[in-house]
Amino acid sequence: MGNRSTFGSVYFAIFGFIVLALGIIELVVMGTAGLGVVCRGPLQMGGMFVGWRAIILICAGLIYLSSITNFLDVRQLGKSVVASIMIWIVAGMAIWARIAGSIPGGPEAGTPWFNPDFLATYGPPYMPEIYLLPLSLVILYFVARRRTER
Amino acid sequence: MELTVEQRWDLVDRIAKETIEIGEYEPTLRDVIADVTVKPLTGIPFAIAVIYGLWMFFSGFAGFFTDGFFVKIFDVHFLPWIQSVFPGKGTWLYYIFVGDPAAETCFESFGVLTSGLFLPIGVVLPAIVAFYLVFAFLEDVGYLPRLAVLVDGLLHKIGLHGYAIIPTILSLGCNVPGVTACRSLETRKQRFMMITLLGVFIPCAAQIGMMEGLIPHLIGWVFLALAIGYFAVGFILNKVWPGESPEILMDVPPYQKPTWRNIGRKMGTRTSHFLMEAVPFFLLGCLIVAVLYLTGAMDWLGNALAPVLTGVFGVPEETVAPLVAGFLRKDLAIGLLGGIELTTWQMFTSVVLLCIYFPCLATVALMLKEEKWKEFLATMLVLVVTVFVFGGLLNLIGMGLGTA
Repeated sequence: MGNRSTFGSVYFAIFGFIVLALGIIELVVMGTAGLGVVCRGPLQMGGMFVGWRAIILICAGLIYLSSITNFLDVRQLGKSVVASIMIWIVAGMAIWARIAGSIPGGPEAGTPWFNPDFLATYGPPYMPEIYLLPLSLVILYFVARRRTER
Repeated sequence: MELTVEQRWDLVDRIAKETIEIGEYEPTLRDVIADVTVKPLTGIPFAIAVIYGLWMFFSGFAGFFTDGFFVKIFDVHFLPWIQSVFPGKGTWLYYIFVGDPAAETCFESFGVLTSGLFLPIGVVLPAIVAFYLVFAFLEDVGYLPRLAVLVDGLLHKIGLHGYAIIPTILSLGCNVPGVTACRSLETRKQRFMMITLLGVFIPCAAQIGMMEGLIPHLIGWVFLALAIGYFAVGFILNKVWPGESPEILMDVPPYQKPTWRNIGRKMGTRTSHFLMEAVPFFLLGCLIVAVLYLTGAMDWLGNALAPVLTGVFGVPEETVAPLVAGFLRKDLAIGLLGGIELTTWQMFTSVVLLCIYFPCLATVALMLKEEKWKEFLATMLVLVVTVFVFGGLLNLIGMGLGTA
């Protein structure tokens, strides 16, 4: 009884499935577009490390799905936390790459030192991991809940 | 009184029985995370994510400083300035210190004050800082011993154990501390094998930084080629080199919050150590290359080595200059490749060859200190054989693919 959370199980079952599906889609994109970048609406996929990202997302999705029974049991919750950390690493690096690429003005002569339009570079499209990041933060609620219950 | 092994274990059992109380233990979330990240099924994907994070941080950080600012500072401002103010254009002194007066980038100029300063400060320094920052973080959090446990089975196949991953990762920063860390390995055989594998197959962060700037799209293939070599040569060495490879028990500490002061201090010490050691070698390397060009020795060397370079490895004879510079610093050598016209396959082969053909001078000096003469000569023999086998194979593959 104490180890069960319907909300946790359902939420991370759906979320894990989405993560897994996005990982598979990234693999398909790699298979069709190679290492080129593909944009569909607000979603951007592909690029040089798409294969690695796809593997990480597929594994994170599977780890989420393996944690949904007895979700509040510490062993199961631990798996979801690890899967979430994997999402945070990939999403964090996508954000970091965007920040690092937005500030310099360019290496050519005559260009400004800092990019005057740097704010514009933060608009969509975004990589799937960035959309997954806020949704994965729900795990912090369960970690905090466990801490208060203990 | 001397105890046999059985008596000692009996004694351990008796002490344990009297002192340890066995009850129910509810693991904490931290315990479970520690456990999940060490089990192969979940630990390997997590390790892939960590290495992906390390790499993306590294390339983003190095790209931000090198492409974002240092290239501009050196190529747009510093190079034209020094080309105009340095006296005696056309003299040998000008050629040594400023390099080619027609050069438009510091990569191409080959001068002591141009390439010699741009490569260590503009290209290598950001890469080194980024690598040591992440390495110190992983060390402080307690992740590295878990990585050691994960790769233990794999490394056992080549006669090493999981902790051999620590010198390997350390060498990805700089080979010198990596070779020093081999002291922690149990037997002379393991130390010899590890030092040889590090010296031949593990590129340092400076080299990786250069590769990142020069061939970002091929870097994965370079690492794949080096990894294949690492395990193949390790496997052979384990079979032919006499000695023991004992089992060990690994102590895996719990995860802990990182101390930023520790991380900053470790990163600062390692970076300053690297700079003190590398910058003089970079300057000396550029000086030697410039002198060899001026005296015509480089052309002579190019002609003498041409049959090997073009015949066996399939690269043009101009690559002799980076090869010479590589005796001092391999990162400098890779940087110098940027000034030579090469096809993609030739660039790939040249980078792999430069990675494996000779460790930098500082690493060789340390190898001489850490290894016996017989071991050192064996390391050099492995190196020569590997260069010819690898270089020849890559050329054959390139010819087979029609890209050489």
